[in-house]
Amino acid sequence: MALLRVDGLEMRFGERLIQSGVSFEVEPGTIFAIMGGSGCGKSTLLKHMVGLLRPAAGSVAYNGVDYWAADDATQSKLRAAFGMLFQSAALWSSMTLLENVCLPLEQHTTMDEAQREARAREVLEWVDLAQFAEFFPSDLSGGMKKRAGLARAIATEPPLLFLDEPSAGLDPISSKRLDDLMLELRRRTGAAVVLVSHELPSLFAIADDGIFLDADSKQPIAHGSPRALLDASSHPTVRAFLTREEPPGAVGASPTQAERTPLRSSLASTPVTDDDTASP
Amino acid sequence: MLPTGRRGPSQTAQSASPMLASILPTRPVAFFGHVLISGAMALRGSWRFRLKDLGRVTADCSGRAVPIVTVVNVLVGAILAFVGAVQLVKFGAGIYVADLVGIAVAREMAAIITAVVMAGRTGAAFAAELATMQANEEVDALEVLGLNAVDFLVLPRVIALLFMMPLLYVYGCVTGLLGGMIVAAGMLSISPAAYLDRTVLALDWSHLTLGFSKSFVFGALIGLVACYFGLYAQRNAAGVGVATTNAVVTSIVGIIVLDAIFAVCANALGI
Repeated sequence: MALLRVDGLEMRFGERLIQSGVSFEVEPGTIFAIMGGSGCGKSTLLKHMVGLLRPAAGSVAYNGVDYWAADDATQSKLRAAFGMLFQSAALWSSMTLLENVCLPLEQHTTMDEAQREARAREVLEWVDLAQFAEFFPSDLSGGMKKRAGLARAIATEPPLLFLDEPSAGLDPISSKRLDDLMLELRRRTGAAVVLVSHELPSLFAIADDGIFLDADSKQPIAHGSPRALLDASSHPTVRAFLTREEPPGAVGASPTQAERTPLRSSLASTPVTDDDTASP
Repeated sequence: MLPTGRRGPSQTAQSASPMLASILPTRPVAFFGHVLISGAMALRGSWRFRLKDLGRVTADCSGRAVPIVTVVNVLVGAILAFVGAVQLVKFGAGIYVADLVGIAVAREMAAIITAVVMAGRTGAAFAAELATMQANEEVDALEVLGLNAVDFLVLPRVIALLFMMPLLYVYGCVTGLLGGMIVAAGMLSISPAAYLDRTVLALDWSHLTLGFSKSFVFGALIGLVACYFGLYAQRNAAGVGVATTNAVVTSIVGIIVLDAIFAVCANALGI
């Protein structure tokens, strides 16, 4: 049985359709990528999966249990089975890093205070932030916040992790470090990871499977690992995304040599309007 | 989960008929109901917030508010005494300035002025903090963890204001009377002992009970309004500003409206 199964999911904000017909499964130990251009609904899909947004149609099931059909107690148990790293890390600003990591342990485990603190320090050590345990999030850099957010997400060793653009805004070295942490995490705990990302090097390096959401058709247009999609997909949007080249005929696509117009001659041919002459 | 509405208009539309939704402010009512239920659960011992957070917000709306509450209430007491003294001296009734200041401060001014100060200070801070948490996805992070934002964030703030406002009201009364006493001593040469004696004669428990009750209600109002606008803020920098402004303006208008209702009720009850 799949660890996570999304079936026929339809996402809407009021009357506005975001995506429909989203279906996929995530197996234990898989790193699953949600890909697509900006604004296609990747983060929104993640929020539907973690229970922050209710789908307009379709289901999200963990180990065969439909999250949105479950009662509050069952939903609470299901939540204990996943951790989430938000795009902005979303560390609780009034708490120290140690308290940030301790709170999920307090919520989802029966550990006493000393055990929670020991576990939190262990996880912070793993992401190289042990010496910052008593710091507040405002005292950290972006990369450190992301690592602290990852520490908080994995503190309870959940079998499923949701990561929303973990590498966004990070330098290449910090980004590579986060990728390594994810691979290490999978090796150590066997956790599955559902990852939203634009970072092609990260996607090619770590994702085993994935889905590609299209903003124009408002539905998934490809399914497979980023590497396999790069090799086999013939869809122009998917190829453009994975090869970082704009599809032919797209607005803003690189013009051919014959289409190129020298800037100087273009400016010279622009008529001068009254507004132009009136401006100081 | 938050009460209806934050997730977009579709859920609000599903939660009530369009006709009903257009008449009733369903989201504020749902929020208020949620806070009441969370409060009842907390009274039974199953609170979900951290006591450390309750301590932090209590300190913010008590000890740290004392300087500004002192200044404003002393000045209001002094202003009342100035205005009263000028008129009362014409009739040779200068000593009654103590009655005027005592009753006005205990029944109305200490509660209202302290509440307005707290709305502008603590209410604004609560709204801005929660709106920023909303914009930074911190509220979402709590909900993913299974911690309800009302239980974890709203309840400690409402409880803190609910219990600290009456204490600040008492303190406001004392400082207001002090302001009046200073002016009475300076302008009318009334000794502090005579002033206090006259104040004790003028004041009755009903005045203090009325003011005390008001401060309790005003505290709840400021906490609820600030947390409501903070939690339902737009998720951007402008949203934080709008939430703060709305929280302060709504709180101040609400304080005046509630005070008017108190005045009508007190008049009807002969208090």
